[in-house]
Amino acid sequence: MKSLVFVLSCLMLSFACSKEKTFDEREINLISPEKISGFDPINASDRYSGNETGKVYEGLFEFHPLKRPYELMPNLAESLPVVSSDGLTYIFKIRKGVLFHDSPAFKDGVGREMKASDIIYSIKRLADPKLNAKGWWLLDDRLVGLNEWRTKNSTTENTNYEEEIEGLKKIDEYTLQMRLKKPYPQFLYALAMPYTFIVAREAVEHFGKEFLNYPVGTGAFVLPKFEQSSMITYLRNTKFRDKFYPSEGEEGDDKLGLLADAGKKIPLIDKITVHVVVESQPKWLSFMKAKDDLLEVKDVNIQQTINSKKELKDEHKEKGIRLIMKPMLDVTYFAFNHEEPIFKNRKLRQAMNLAFDRATYNRLFHENTAFDAHGPVPPGLGGQTKEFKNPYIKYDLDQAKKLLAEAGYPGGKGLPTIVVQTRSDTISRQQIEFFEKCMEKIGINIDAGTNTWPELVNKVTKKQHQMYTMAWGADYPDAENFLGLLYCPNQAPGSNGANYCNPDFDAIYKQATIMQDSPERTTLYEKLNEMVALDAPWIFGFHRTDIYLAQAWLKNFKHMEFNHSQFQYLNVDLEVKKQLSKKF
Amino acid sequence: MIKYIIRRLLYLIPVLLGVSFIIFVLFNLVSGDPTAVLLGKNASARQMAELREQLGLNKPLLDQYFDVVKSAFTFDFGYSWATKQEISHMILQGAYPSLCLSVPAFVIATILSLIISLVVSFYRGKGIDLFVRIMCIAGVSVSALAYILFFQYFFAYKLGWFEISGFEYGFPDFIPFVALPAIIFILLSLGPDVRFFRTVILDEIYQDYVRTARAKGLSEVVILLKHVLRNAMIPIITYVVIQIPSLILGALLLENFFSIPGLGGITLNALNSSDFPVIKAMAILSSVLYILLSLLTDVLYTFADPRVKLK
Repeated sequence: MKSLVFVLSCLMLSFACSKEKTFDEREINLISPEKISGFDPINASDRYSGNETGKVYEGLFEFHPLKRPYELMPNLAESLPVVSSDGLTYIFKIRKGVLFHDSPAFKDGVGREMKASDIIYSIKRLADPKLNAKGWWLLDDRLVGLNEWRTKNSTTENTNYEEEIEGLKKIDEYTLQMRLKKPYPQFLYALAMPYTFIVAREAVEHFGKEFLNYPVGTGAFVLPKFEQSSMITYLRNTKFRDKFYPSEGEEGDDKLGLLADAGKKIPLIDKITVHVVVESQPKWLSFMKAKDDLLEVKDVNIQQTINSKKELKDEHKEKGIRLIMKPMLDVTYFAFNHEEPIFKNRKLRQAMNLAFDRATYNRLFHENTAFDAHGPVPPGLGGQTKEFKNPYIKYDLDQAKKLLAEAGYPGGKGLPTIVVQTRSDTISRQQIEFFEKCMEKIGINIDAGTNTWPELVNKVTKKQHQMYTMAWGADYPDAENFLGLLYCPNQAPGSNGANYCNPDFDAIYKQATIMQDSPERTTLYEKLNEMVALDAPWIFGFHRTDIYLAQAWLKNFKHMEFNHSQFQYLNVDLEVKKQLSKKF
Repeated sequence: MIKYIIRRLLYLIPVLLGVSFIIFVLFNLVSGDPTAVLLGKNASARQMAELREQLGLNKPLLDQYFDVVKSAFTFDFGYSWATKQEISHMILQGAYPSLCLSVPAFVIATILSLIISLVVSFYRGKGIDLFVRIMCIAGVSVSALAYILFFQYFFAYKLGWFEISGFEYGFPDFIPFVALPAIIFILLSLGPDVRFFRTVILDEIYQDYVRTARAKGLSEVVILLKHVLRNAMIPIITYVVIQIPSLILGALLLENFFSIPGLGGITLNALNSSDFPVIKAMAILSSVLYILLSLLTDVLYTFADPRVKLK
């Protein structure tokens, strides 16, 4: 027995000592809470795929890592484009000396220079009907001739990439012209999104269907081969062009040390290791053991992170851990199906809004970190003003009962049981149970319809629901992305799952969304936001908060909603890491 | 026996046809249109229609069914709709970590359970038997999740004896990563295994031939190991072999909590993203494994009990 204990102890010690910590490698360790399916930019539809794609690929533009509100800056483009007076023609100057990563796809395995033709190829690839990219919506019906090219190639055996398209013209190797069908003020945002990141045709053709596992970009890090694993290791791109850390940011960034590396050549680190960890506990424990440098805090871990004053708990402060809390650009809601006759009744919708106890919901499900949504547009975007208070989102049962009676359903009499479709996970079910209790107080009976994600999406896209719950995150920093959720032509199977149609709203929306960013457009956005807020097409929920914990040695991390390109700016202070690691 | 094996292998044909039919009906009639999920939140009606065409969902139902049958017999499952990865590659890549965890854990758990069952059967009705029975009931009464959360927190985080999560390919690199989940796997298996094995062994212990052996003066140890165990092997083999397909298909909870990139999550992710080719591949693979292992069970019976003849 003693020898057995001895053998076991030796085994455990050998495990424990198998990975000695070293402090000489400029490496950062990050977590991806979702499995990564591959590295094809045209299908990088979620935040986490975008984050991984953005380490190896780049776009013409990127969001400034420090400035807020979000500001675009040239990346593979040399400068911002020259735009014609009608807002339809864009001339882009392409940066010289940008090299693709070395890959067997190229002659002699050496990456060649990226040129205007690569941008045209990458955009055509996004439109290729045979690839049916998740990101196609971004350019669908936008560029002159692109949709026609897509339609023509949908019936041919091979896609003809040689055919010229009027809206995509190479003027010379470093100059490109794009022509839009109609004004598209969000166009440059589209060119900063992972869907439009630049790929090399040789790599696509060389690797064929395996292209998504062999990323060949121009980015700051290289990943020779992607394997479905719990770990992805990126190495510094030694041939990365001269790109420098920004020397200006938002007010206060200097004090936070975010400008300490101003003017230095990036990337500042040699290696990024991304650990794919899905469950909350191992994520939390790995961070608390200093195995990871950054943690996105969610659900059960919020309580372990902050106290009732929403401040970082002392036990974490002692280890030098930093708390970063910023409102997300998102909105949660309970949508009515406006094709159901009962929900054409505005007073009923308003009454249900008034009966929803947001304060308790926020405490129970968001640890009081979320903000009440007064309308669809989240704070931080033009279109949402602090002054506007939606009168129907306060919790007022008397007013709710009064409106319900005026709607023709006194005490809920005459109303059928309303089924709210939601997901089948525990938290979603608890949320619906809470919602049921709220509505019960004014006499409305609610039943929960629980679904897997595909089932829920199917019911919404086929309009087979009375109500459903959903959240929407921003694709780019423009209120249009949220207001479009209530635009009639976007109704199911589009993003307007509520099938809400309001001709007054639609007319202003149509006018506003082709206007370039301006005070006039912001005024129209505000008008739209307030108009739908009062009309209560949804039961408005919350704008949630992003919560991050960062180790003291992780430098230059700033909360960023569109953070695909952020990782190249991160740094690590090895001396601080060496000292503080003893505390873990 | 050869004829029997060939005949049983031929059973694969109607089984695969049946499985293909059930999967096809379930997918087409129950799960609905996958294109909205596959294209994401900004999908348009036109793009959904194009994708339906591209995925072959507009083909006549009979043609679609033949496609399913074809892949069931050729094992060519094509590419995942959701991840665009080659399915056979996904399965092979996921099978390695799953097997690294489950095979050693399963073998140790089975041997350990058998030893414990023999010991408690030997001391039946005594204190140790009672203690093991109580521990087994306590063991199966606590949720697997509770074991995982506690062991991960205490042994990996607090004591630092094991890796908290992750996986590295290659021997012996994977050992530190699978050691703790394997220990949990063994502990979770001991409860039900010991209870079953003990019952089976005790059933045999009261048979006439055991009394005869005792009358002939054989020791209890010899009776247990030579006579009782051999006769108890038939239900034990059935019980053990039937668990093997689930080992290959992965231990979902353990793999998720310890970030082991095994097969456990593949089916779940496929269900959550309406990824029919992957669902189809996993269902067909399970059926084939089940049939082959049933056959293996039958063959093993002949070794365990020479009276069994396969005809």
